[in-house]
Amino acid sequence: MRPVVARVDWDRAKTHGENMMDFDIAVKMHVYRTIAATTRAPTIAQVAQTLECTVEEVEEAFQRLFKKRLLVLEPDTSEIRMAPPFSAVETSFRVLVDGESYFANCVWDALGVAAALKRDVDVAATCGDCGQPMSMQVRRGAVVPEPWAVHFAVPAAHWWDDIVFT
Amino acid sequence: MLLFRSEEHVNRWCLDRNLPRRPIINLQQLWQLALAWYENRLTVDSRRPDPDEIDAIFARLGLTDPFWNPRATRIG
Repeated sequence: MRPVVARVDWDRAKTHGENMMDFDIAVKMHVYRTIAATTRAPTIAQVAQTLECTVEEVEEAFQRLFKKRLLVLEPDTSEIRMAPPFSAVETSFRVLVDGESYFANCVWDALGVAAALKRDVDVAATCGDCGQPMSMQVRRGAVVPEPWAVHFAVPAAHWWDDIVFT
Repeated sequence: MLLFRSEEHVNRWCLDRNLPRRPIINLQQLWQLALAWYENRLTVDSRRPDPDEIDAIFARLGLTDPFWNPRATRIG
């Protein structure tokens, strides 16, 4: 795959604290642009290879991006589970964009995929109660009206206590 | 957060799980939240809104119940 971010001056980054932020931005942009382009999240090894850095440097950047709530990591492997609004694993919120399938973490993130990509989307979801298929559409920058109800079970202050449940 | 066909389905879901019924929003409000959170997510400067910005986003949508307070320690 073609690298999707410019090279960063790693020697300088290692000796200048402020450039750690540059590295994190490079990692973030690579992750998000890769998902946008391919629908799949890159692995730690793939990010390290593309950015020509070590696996440990990528793992550390992932942890910093987790603290900024820009990534959620798998507890056992530290690979990407979520790069909100995108999910790296299959969920019950499938977002179709020009024939490509993305997965979102929740109903909010399903519309978030449309907002992030700035594209028309069709969301295939199911009713949380009865499991019946439901759909949402975004067309020309607006959501198509439907009488659906969106329920938040967890108060805002606790969304990140267990973000997978939220 | 989950999607439901109607408020009745939300009520049944909560009852079945012995969970309190929490706020419901409509798709238009959800779309505005999606834009506020994610419109710039693929840009270099993207970040999650901070608590003050979250307060302002919810207030703009009329979501002023303590449930939406990102700093709240207790929700009734």
